[in-house]
Amino acid sequence: MIREERGAGEQTVEERASGRLAGTAIRDEFGLETLDMNMGPQHPAMHGLLRLILQLDGETVVRCDPVMGYLHRSKEKISENRMYPAVVPITDRIDYMNNIAMEYGYCMAVEDLLEAEIPPRADAIRALLNELGRIMSHIPSIGFLLLELGAFTPILYAFRERERIQDMFEAITGARMMFHYIRIGGVKSDLPEGMPERMWEYVESLEERLNPDFIDLIEGNEIFVARTRNVGKITQEKAVEMGLTGPPLRCTGVSYDVRRDYTYGWYKNLDFNVITDEAGDVEASYRVRIGEVRESIRMIKQILEALPEGEVMADLGRRIRPPEGDGFGRAESARGEYAVHVVSDGSDTPYRVHYRTPCTVNMQLLQEIVPGHYLPDIMPIMGLIDPVSGAWDK
Amino acid sequence: MTVTLPEGDLNGRLDHYLEGFRGRHELQEASVEKNVVRLVIRPDLLPAILTTARESLGVLHLSFITVVDLEGSYELTYELLDLRGGTVRVKTTLEGEEPVIDSVTRIYPTANWHEREAYDMFGIAFKGHPDLRRLYMWQDHFDHHPLLKSFEISTKRTFEGLR
Repeated sequence: MIREERGAGEQTVEERASGRLAGTAIRDEFGLETLDMNMGPQHPAMHGLLRLILQLDGETVVRCDPVMGYLHRSKEKISENRMYPAVVPITDRIDYMNNIAMEYGYCMAVEDLLEAEIPPRADAIRALLNELGRIMSHIPSIGFLLLELGAFTPILYAFRERERIQDMFEAITGARMMFHYIRIGGVKSDLPEGMPERMWEYVESLEERLNPDFIDLIEGNEIFVARTRNVGKITQEKAVEMGLTGPPLRCTGVSYDVRRDYTYGWYKNLDFNVITDEAGDVEASYRVRIGEVRESIRMIKQILEALPEGEVMADLGRRIRPPEGDGFGRAESARGEYAVHVVSDGSDTPYRVHYRTPCTVNMQLLQEIVPGHYLPDIMPIMGLIDPVSGAWDK
Repeated sequence: MTVTLPEGDLNGRLDHYLEGFRGRHELQEASVEKNVVRLVIRPDLLPAILTTARESLGVLHLSFITVVDLEGSYELTYELLDLRGGTVRVKTTLEGEEPVIDSVTRIYPTANWHEREAYDMFGIAFKGHPDLRRLYMWQDHFDHHPLLKSFEISTKRTFEGLR
């Protein structure tokens, strides 16, 4: 379609050699030239598979049109054709940086249909791993932001932390990424022996490392400030209008967190702050993420201090067959509000599963705020939204 | 420019929402259950009710739009949050082969991609949408709407053939 519009077939060899295929110059009403350019879907700095159709005036972006669907695996259709417990590993693959929250939301939706009671120990373990998963997602996302700005060191420190958390997840769940650990009615198995102590030791050492390895290295760095301050500026009204959630919303100063405002599971027993920042730019989103890592550490300590004893799985029978109706689950993933809507017709398989992934909604922001910025500013703005390809494409 | 979010007692607020909708519109069903205001409405009233929710009652966030294909009709769920514990869940049913409903992008700009997704997956036409293109599937040479129950996945066909 695009090729036809540009008349690529009619081009001579000389025209192609002069670079006409890479982009087409168009004169606007004032006789100035703008250039249409494709960024992605395969771009070394892009967060996965995203194609941006950009219209450039010099180096300034005039129009930005995201094209999605390059990693669409039709999670919702697959979920309709599987039995209820077999959907959990499918949800794992939606947001592959923060899988635990994805499992959690789906299991809550089915438990809402079943009106199941979850044992307190299972609830506490779920919250524990959810917070660990948030650290595991936030720290590399800070590393990626810095990598895109040209700093190579933070990503190495970030992946060292992620590696250590993955080791713990491997000991608990048996897998390093696709855990399939939270099940309908509880969790797969109890924590292995010595794990609470190991976790406590780890988060204490992480707290000590946060300052020298991340904050001192990043905050106040001249290049970091020049590239992120006042870049991707969003006002509170715009953020709420666009339906943003998670760090992109909280960096504008709107205090909304599913864990506090639509509380679920073990979070009602915890004492934590919702981190907000006033600036609403890329730098503020970095500060919110670092602050949330600190809060997660606090929460993990609180859970470990009062970890209840008992069963980790409710007895729901071998066959899960919920009554007819709607089930809703809502969880705070590392990227924002994740919601699942399950419709049951009384059979073994869900009639319809709808995933509200925060990345899809937050990405609408690109159309709104990228115009007016320079082309190299797109990458920090992607760092503000921090989307994951699997999550926006489902 | 700051956004003010609602404050105070949740139950009182939910009753206030329910009364607000009841006083202004003709509703088929309305109730409060588990911190959720549930409304069932006629599809032509949708923009008016969502305008009431946003402008008069201050429910600022549209969380998602779910479409369910009931083979013959479509059930649409609009989930609105006031960001402080209260939820308004609006349900409506569209009849017929070629479903059409008014777009709510002028009320909640975030509905833009939610409606594009619903159009892509179910073929529902949103009247007044500024940019109704497919979101995930190919723009050209693809005439299907994959989440319709009539669109069967290939593995399912294989299973039926094996049986």
